[in-house]
Amino acid sequence: MNALANPEVGKFINEHFCSSFQKVATFRIVGNQKQGGNVAAYFCAPDGRVLHVVAGPVDAGTMLNEAKWMVDSTKKAIAEAKNDGAKFKAAFRKMHAERLRQQYGLVVEPVTFDPPDVQDSNSALTYNDPSGRPLAPKLPPPPIEGPDVTFRLQAKEAGRGENADAAVRDRKGGAWALGTQGRVHQLMAAHSMLKIELVYGTVFENILGEKVSTKPVEVATPFPWVDAKRPGR
Amino acid sequence: MRSLAWLSAVALCLAVAPTAFGRDTVKPAETCGDHGTSIDFFDTPSEAARAALKQEKLVFVLHVSGNFEDPRFT
Repeated sequence: MNALANPEVGKFINEHFCSSFQKVATFRIVGNQKQGGNVAAYFCAPDGRVLHVVAGPVDAGTMLNEAKWMVDSTKKAIAEAKNDGAKFKAAFRKMHAERLRQQYGLVVEPVTFDPPDVQDSNSALTYNDPSGRPLAPKLPPPPIEGPDVTFRLQAKEAGRGENADAAVRDRKGGAWALGTQGRVHQLMAAHSMLKIELVYGTVFENILGEKVSTKPVEVATPFPWVDAKRPGR
Repeated sequence: MRSLAWLSAVALCLAVAPTAFGRDTVKPAETCGDHGTSIDFFDTPSEAARAALKQEKLVFVLHVSGNFEDPRFT
């Protein structure tokens, strides 16, 4: 364990968050060996709506920075929203778009209004997984407008032959290399404050490239290889 | 104007140092353990959400998949 075993990370997360875990996605079994595996950390409001995601494994410093950014951003958005949920959502999405611009040099227009969902989960035309719940949707990220002139150097043009998953296209057809966390900000600029069951499919399949087979399930021991009596081992 | 009940509660809790209310520690009986990490985990996200509402905190949910024997994953 790296990030989550770090005492500073643990202290900060325990101070500001109530934590839990679920098992999602699938893995391949080749011979007797499991292959694949990934992790996504969701920072949510107490009503289960996702405010921020850390996709994939990160080091302790990154996890702590993201957790601190999350708490600071929540404070700012609450101050700005003045107890108005719609304003809070808009403020949060703008902050994700701003971070994408400043850190990755790419511009997206944050989506500050969600049209009503016309899909009825009880409809006969809605495909449900065997447990009866609709499958996790694949949410479309907002289109990249292009590079920001101020932060142009941060935006990296995707090279030929680059992994298609890591390249995003802007409205004019230009290809830009955008890492996992950059794509999280792109997604969150349009879909933060959605319920976790609507977001996890996109995070695992579109960002981490892992196939999701079922809804998340609880697991008794998420890290079976760790000796609980000797943290960090 | 749509209002979210948790907004003002969380605002209050984030505005002051957590230790002022002694909220920096979770009672061991409430959680299902740290599983060898530095984080106290609740059994399910819904339990964590209920506790978060009560303790005026946010929620941290970890989704894990596949082979995690490699400690670099988390």
